Amino acid sequence: MLKTEGQNWIRSLKIRWISFYLISTIAIALAIALLLSVTGFYLLHSPAWIFAAIFPLILAILLFSKPVWKTTDLDVSRFVNNHYPELEESADLLLQNETALSMLQQLQRNKIENIIPNLAQPKEPLKRLYFGLAILAVALLISFGITKIPQISKTDSIIQENKNQVPTIKENIPAEISAFSATIIPPAYTGKGERKQKQFTIAAETGATVSWKIETNIGIKKLKLIFNDNESISLKALNAAHTQWIYSKTINKSGFYQLDLDGKKSDLYQMEVIPDLPVTIKITQPKQHTTIDIGQPQKFDLKASLSDDYGINDAFISATMASGKGEGVSFTEKKLSFNTSFDNKKNISLNKLIDLKSLGMKPGDELYFFIKAMDNHGQSSRSDVYFVSIVDTTELMSLAGMTNGVNLVPEYFRSERQIIIDTEKLLKEQSTLPAATFKTRSNDLGIDQKLLRLRYGQFLGEENETEIGGDHDDHDEHAEHKAESEKFGDVSAIMDKYAHKHDIAEDATFFEPEMKAQLKAVLTEMWNAELRLRTYKPQEALPYEYKALRLLKDLQQKSRAYVAKTTVKVSALKPEKRLSGELDKITQPVQKMTFEQKEKRTVYLKTALALLESRKTGKNFTGQDRFLLGETEKYMIGAAADHPSTYLNALASLRKLITGNRPTIKDIDLVQQAIQKMINVEPAKPQVQNTAPASALYQNYFNNLNKAGR
Amino acid sequence: MEFNYIAMLAGFLLMTFLLYKEVRRANQARLLWRILANIVAVGCFVLLIVPIRYETHLKQNPDEIILLTEGTNLDSVANLKGKKYTLPSVDLKNTKATTIADLSYFLKSNPNIRKLNVYGYGLTAAELENLKGYQISFHPSANPTGIIAANWPAKLKTSEPLQVQGMYQNTTKETVKLLLKGLGKAVDSVNIEANANKSFSFKTTPKQTGKAVYQLLALQKNDTLAKEAVPVQVGNQASMKVLILASFPDFEYKFLKNWLYENQYPLAFRSQISKNKYASDFLNMDSINLSQINALSLKKFDILIIDEEELAAISPGERSSINIAVNNGMGLLIRVTDSKALTRLSGKSNRFEIPPLKGKTLNLMLAEDHFKFNPLPLEQGLFLKTNQNEQSVITDASGKTLVNSSISGYGKILTSSISSTYNWILSGEKTDYAAYWSKLLANAARKRNDMLTVNIIPQFPVVNQKTRIITDLSVAGKLPILKVDDVQLNPRQNMELPFQWDALYWPKKTGWIDLQVNQNIEPIYIYKKTDWQALKNQQNLNDTHQFIKNLGTAVNNTQLKDVVIEEEISIWWFFTGFLLAAAFLWYESRILAV
Repeated sequence: MLKTEGQNWIRSLKIRWISFYLISTIAIALAIALLLSVTGFYLLHSPAWIFAAIFPLILAILLFSKPVWKTTDLDVSRFVNNHYPELEESADLLLQNETALSMLQQLQRNKIENIIPNLAQPKEPLKRLYFGLAILAVALLISFGITKIPQISKTDSIIQENKNQVPTIKENIPAEISAFSATIIPPAYTGKGERKQKQFTIAAETGATVSWKIETNIGIKKLKLIFNDNESISLKALNAAHTQWIYSKTINKSGFYQLDLDGKKSDLYQMEVIPDLPVTIKITQPKQHTTIDIGQPQKFDLKASLSDDYGINDAFISATMASGKGEGVSFTEKKLSFNTSFDNKKNISLNKLIDLKSLGMKPGDELYFFIKAMDNHGQSSRSDVYFVSIVDTTELMSLAGMTNGVNLVPEYFRSERQIIIDTEKLLKEQSTLPAATFKTRSNDLGIDQKLLRLRYGQFLGEENETEIGGDHDDHDEHAEHKAESEKFGDVSAIMDKYAHKHDIAEDATFFEPEMKAQLKAVLTEMWNAELRLRTYKPQEALPYEYKALRLLKDLQQKSRAYVAKTTVKVSALKPEKRLSGELDKITQPVQKMTFEQKEKRTVYLKTALALLESRKTGKNFTGQDRFLLGETEKYMIGAAADHPSTYLNALASLRKLITGNRPTIKDIDLVQQAIQKMINVEPAKPQVQNTAPASALYQNYFNNLNKAGR
Repeated sequence: MEFNYIAMLAGFLLMTFLLYKEVRRANQARLLWRILANIVAVGCFVLLIVPIRYETHLKQNPDEIILLTEGTNLDSVANLKGKKYTLPSVDLKNTKATTIADLSYFLKSNPNIRKLNVYGYGLTAAELENLKGYQISFHPSANPTGIIAANWPAKLKTSEPLQVQGMYQNTTKETVKLLLKGLGKAVDSVNIEANANKSFSFKTTPKQTGKAVYQLLALQKNDTLAKEAVPVQVGNQASMKVLILASFPDFEYKFLKNWLYENQYPLAFRSQISKNKYASDFLNMDSINLSQINALSLKKFDILIIDEEELAAISPGERSSINIAVNNGMGLLIRVTDSKALTRLSGKSNRFEIPPLKGKTLNLMLAEDHFKFNPLPLEQGLFLKTNQNEQSVITDASGKTLVNSSISGYGKILTSSISSTYNWILSGEKTDYAAYWSKLLANAARKRNDMLTVNIIPQFPVVNQKTRIITDLSVAGKLPILKVDDVQLNPRQNMELPFQWDALYWPKKTGWIDLQVNQNIEPIYIYKKTDWQALKNQQNLNDTHQFIKNLGTAVNNTQLKDVVIEEEISIWWFFTGFLLAAAFLWYESRILAV
């Protein structure tokens, strides 16, 4: 029977309704399942397959709570009747058998049939679909947000955890082992609690105790731990079934170990020791060499910062004072403590004001000191030695240096000393003198100082008095020369171009550059002193005068070569007798030695490297090759015991190569890399250069060339 | 020929018979058409058997051929007229080119050929040799991408660096990373920008003793563009013998002596302790009489290290025997401390003195490759002037020479003005010390003559390719025994150089093979056919260009001629004609006539 148009319309509406509703339900179920599984996976760390379980469950619940597929045509017609007043509550007429209808009903039905195709499709199913999709979109957004949460929280925790946690390394664990754990108890000084890990690779502090607890799934007669391939320890079984084993050991050195289960050996596991470093000491103040001049306070500030990886226990200053001169030098040692408590802090900055006077130091004495610090493990460390010296003014005033030997510029030294004496005298008399006289005398002293300065300036080859110790960089003369027209054949003119000319050339190069520099420093001090004297502040000028004098004294000592008079009398040489002694009884010493290369390590390693290279094609090793690899293994075990993290993998690969049949390129590469690291840098050796085989032809050619050249 | 006439005669008879039958037929309709159809049918049938040739004019030289080589762009040659030839080494697909087994044989057997049109990357130098006197028109392909030049020493001595240098031609639009890999690790790498030619130089010290194959990889993102083998062998060799004559023992000698001793160099050391009295040390060698230096005792040594004072103090006879020994190949290292030369031998190089700067350290540098040493705490005032026939070996930072070398006969004379290098050892810079003295000693020492040298042509011998092995021997007259992996080769003596022999060989497998020359074994590396392809292509390209350039315009007189070429008309035409005519006759008799 062909269905009428109205019936078709209602049926299609029903299908649309059901299908949209189903899609929306699936979307919602998907959304809920997604949210739940993302939360479970990322936050609760449950396995990924839970999604597969959650989704059908939720879908089933949703579907059964509202069984939309049970919607009948009647339901639809009821809905249509409610929604479209145009149908005049007669949509269900369309569904009834046409023949069973009364006349009126048929009329009504025909009427509706014309109306119904022109009706707009109801929006409800679409709305439902959009609703479901919207929920899915929201759920997607939220779950994306959730995936980001662990990363944010991880970045914080990683920094804290990384120090304690050994980075997880993939380990091959023998099949017999069902469970195991290693407990590391760090030594007391580290202040760390014990930690437990589920991997064989161990990173522990020096002196830490590690206890292994191993459970096997079958009874094993003997379980051994082999350390560094030479130290073998049998473990005690805890139970009669021989399935539980325990062992503990204090670790002081890096290395590696492996398990031996009834002769079946496991992989190699590394054992890294984190060493305790001594305290690092950094002195920021004072400088390594400090001189305290007259007028400066005789004290200094000591600033230092100390740091250690676990804690600082104690620190003090060890100071040595040297006083006296020549043979009469005496040393006194003192221990100065910082008056702070250290409390096992990891970082500390220390401050101490050291008063040299209270230490009993006089001018001319020197102080040597260093800081010594201990960490909580009892390791001590010390800083560099620092020097502080107080200038002795009386030494400068003494004429001891003047009385003998050559004196380069005696009169000027006396003058600087005289100025100092005069300044001190002026200061002493200051209270008795009227202000005007004081000022004139101070000014006069300033003039004296200036004259002195100018005279010293002459030594430096200064050309005008305004320049004090300044360098004359501007050599305009060169520029002028350029402007002049070129004179051909004028030798001096050409030379002028390239020569650095001064007014008095000799003066400029009279002293060594080092001396000149010091002389300049003297002039600067003198200039400073003059400034104070001229401004009537003789008290302030005094330190500068002293400093100038000290520098001059140094200068004087430097430019002198002094040989003290000796009383030894040497007999005159007789040249005819020189070198004429009888030498026939003197034997000629002959030494003969041959260097024995005791160490064959490098030779073996180098040959092994080439051997491995030749086996990259996949050829097997012969018996002789295996011997060589065995030697290499010995050396590599030694290297791996010291640096397990670098060489352990290579060692495992090497063993695979020795025992295995077909060498793989990956293993060979790994071993080759390790061997190259073990060989280290090879210094160059002189090598003879080679030429073509000697031939009479070449010789003849050379001889003929030689003849032709003559 | 005769068969053709028989066919024509038979055809004629057949046609006569058919025409007679047609004319005599009862139904006389369309007679003319039938006669025509019969003539056409029989004529075409005969022509099916007897081909018709005609002559055409072609603007091609009859004495020229087209030769396709490696890298030919197939699209561009598809439209070319004329016969195409190719060589067996070239792998071209989808071309109907005739393979020439041997180019020179082919050319000899076709003496009319005067000109070759070469497409692709061109021919190798050996193949081009056969083309002398021919005119060549070269249509090169685009430049190949890859390593177009590479060189490295195949044989190294222990502790010598391996330097791989070359040029990469990148014609792609992306950066290429070039990587040298060896002994399980990457050694060095360089990036080559898009569309650029860049030279590269990798340096490493191979640590193995024996053979190894380094690899030069060209990478573009994750793709490996090329993977070329760089075979290298490192060998030990006998140490040089050193003689030191000192006027007085000083620290420089002491440290040098100890260093050489620990490195197992045979060393004789003599220092004067009094008039005609010497202390001598013989390290790693047997003692000999050193109180008198003569030509015989000097023959045992590869290098003599002497200070100028000692050189001046020894007798003139000894000096002249040193001179003779140097002319015969011995190395001489003279340490000078004074600005004035004391002897003629040491006075060959001029010196100058400048006041040393206080507190300055001496920064030495190798003149050859600008390798900088760590500074020495020395105040150096004495420098050397480098003459025209001298070469500076060590300079300071500003380029003033401190050690220079000059040639004297077969040997070399080195003059050094550095007084104390042992400070390097004191400050722990052992590698600098070793590098410095290695350079000096290696530079000066007597060169050792090889027992034999082996040269392989081509540069990269390949499996199943003709390889020429050339060996130079020290003894001229005797026929050497050449074997490759127990295959005896028959050497041929060079006509001009009696000590040179060569042999031909076709390698059978890749990798290292052992070439035995008399009693010596020389490993040779045989490459895969695909190795260094870009380089070979570029080389062919360059060689061919060069060859053509050398040919010049001398043979450029063959011009295009109008040549008559006989062409055959396709028999399909006749078949069609026969079919049509026969069909008409059949149709006429069956349908129209009824």
